[in-house]
Amino acid sequence: MGRLLENHSKQLLKGAGIPVPAFEVAASPAEAEAAARRLGGPVVLKALVPVGKRGKAGAVKFAATPGEAAQAAGELLKMTVRNFPVEKVLVEEKIKIAQEWYLSITYDKSKKAPVIIASTRGGIDVEELSRSYPEQMIIYQVDPLEGLLSYQAREIWSDLGVGGGLLVSAGTLLSRLYKVFDQYDAYLLEVNPLAVTESGELVAAATVMSVDDSAVYRQSALADMVQLGSERAWRPLTELEKKMVAVNEADPYRGTARYTEMPDGDIGFMCGGGGGSLLLFDTLLSLGGRPANYSEVGGNPPEEKVYGLTKGILSKPGVKGLFVAHNITNNTQVDVLARGIIRALRDLNIDPRTFPVVVREAGVNDAVARELFLAAGVEYYGDEITMTEAAARMVARMREAYGAGERGR
Amino acid sequence: MGILIDRNSRIVIQGITGREASMVTRHTLAYGTKIVAGVTPGKGGQDVHGVPVYDTLKAACREHAPDTSIIYVPPAFVYDAVAEAVANGIRLILIPTENVPQKDAVKFLRLAERAGVRIVGPNTVGMINPGERVKLGAIGGDNVERCFVPGPVGVISRSGGMTAEVSWMVKRAGYGVSTSVSIGGDALIGSTIKDLLALFEADPQTKAVVVFSEPGTNQEEEAAAFILEGGYTKPLVAYIAGRFTEDMPEGTVFGHAAAIISGNYGRPSLKAARLKEAGACVLESFDDLIPTLKKILG
Repeated sequence: MGRLLENHSKQLLKGAGIPVPAFEVAASPAEAEAAARRLGGPVVLKALVPVGKRGKAGAVKFAATPGEAAQAAGELLKMTVRNFPVEKVLVEEKIKIAQEWYLSITYDKSKKAPVIIASTRGGIDVEELSRSYPEQMIIYQVDPLEGLLSYQAREIWSDLGVGGGLLVSAGTLLSRLYKVFDQYDAYLLEVNPLAVTESGELVAAATVMSVDDSAVYRQSALADMVQLGSERAWRPLTELEKKMVAVNEADPYRGTARYTEMPDGDIGFMCGGGGGSLLLFDTLLSLGGRPANYSEVGGNPPEEKVYGLTKGILSKPGVKGLFVAHNITNNTQVDVLARGIIRALRDLNIDPRTFPVVVREAGVNDAVARELFLAAGVEYYGDEITMTEAAARMVARMREAYGAGERGR
Repeated sequence: MGILIDRNSRIVIQGITGREASMVTRHTLAYGTKIVAGVTPGKGGQDVHGVPVYDTLKAACREHAPDTSIIYVPPAFVYDAVAEAVANGIRLILIPTENVPQKDAVKFLRLAERAGVRIVGPNTVGMINPGERVKLGAIGGDNVERCFVPGPVGVISRSGGMTAEVSWMVKRAGYGVSTSVSIGGDALIGSTIKDLLALFEADPQTKAVVVFSEPGTNQEEEAAAFILEGGYTKPLVAYIAGRFTEDMPEGTVFGHAAAIISGNYGRPSLKAARLKEAGACVLESFDDLIPTLKKILG
């Protein structure tokens, strides 16, 4: 899922008629000071990073004056929140909150429907909410074919004990929020807290939004807000990962080549598909191997993609071997894999007789692949051994080449 | 026997003239599975490897009365294709398409559910009943018998590729499969592990079931509850890949779209614990599948 920064999600909500605090984005203390002056009065400053629970991480600060805002922004801009360096801060008016509510929309995968979670308690995370105040929380499944009707939105709040004018505005706000969720192919849309101000108005004080990557093709308005591949990382993409995204996107409709750098490790991991990679990674670890990256290659990728990914895998410092394996393929042509991999090894002047390379590739055109790999001096197996046996060979080759000594660390 | 498909299945392919669909048609016919018709708007009157193509599914249904459809259309058109299939009385729909928007998926899954139509997928490589020589989708490629031979084992896999590998391991153990089903790697799919266990329970050919699982979703937890309720009573062997992901920071996605761990939801270790409590055999090493099957089936 692609996460949006809070300024982007608030902009979308505002466009749909949902009240949000007045806000600006600042990239320096001076900009924050100027923003605070324009907003007038006390402000809240938040690190603009695509992760939740920023309050707990100390990435939300309050400032009474523009001078304080500059100082707070300076502190935030030096922070790294869960591996994301803070490059920008959100400066927004501090609203006068009387009550904090909770509201979110996401998909319930078991029920296969959008689900609304609403509560007249908020400002705490949803896990704590469901633990501590289950009776003040409503979980409502939306009929995906009908969407959310206005009366249903009002019923949700009414059942939580909301009445009068607030019920009408809360119903309208929920209907509009559902519209945003639906219109932008959101996967998660959370308002927490949904603030009831001292003057009795509802304001979306803090928002979290992530959108379905599979729908980005029809969401041109979001193109600049979502970074491709960001849903697969717990930190910003590394330079190498960005390069590998480019390798994949160069030919986006033929095959997939996904790459994630792991801390340390010495085995280049060139595997697939989705399930096969998980199994092979687990198996290497259980045998004492140390993969330097994770990858998934599948869907019959062209040679150029295989070549680019292999070069990337081998370029990571500390990689001293290469493991190439898949489940028996249904449609991936393994002779094409062979050509891409062998070309990458040649270009990097890697001799697979001394630099351990173990291949287990069986499937479409594997007779040709066998000839190509063997001619290149690669230890090749087809379906004469299992995936587990191939992983064991890889770990054994690493031990033979580099000894067991340094593996103990 | 086997589940869901047999030699009486009347198969139509929506989007048959596309590159992949055309290749799959060729491989499927070569395997001996009959495809009664194909549909591609604007290409009615043509044929693909001898299979007649129609402009609409409605027209194909008039001539051939299909009951099973494979949908080979790009993500943006899957919803429409499913609606077309449901409206024209198709009973089983297989959706190989990957990257279907979730908003569309919840809609067509509900549409099918209301009409009592079964969906397998999206993001499935297909399913196969080798005893009847019937397959839907790319599964098995051009060398079906390498992995899929008839026998007493049902296979359910959340990974398309591993559907073949698991079935090959079953063959290596000296057995074969009743039906192997790639259920799809997405978070939102039509037929879950539990749904298929119910069908394998009723199938006399199936003596045991092997499940290949991944992190994410609560399909395994649901399956365990189903077993404890007595809904499935045959031996179950499970392998849950992706244990290493539990040590990665939360929110990281590895493998298929469904493989996301959040809190305790989706954790392989908890899935394994639930399945073991329900009496399933959960494999430590994938290679243990072979001796385990020998022990169970004798």
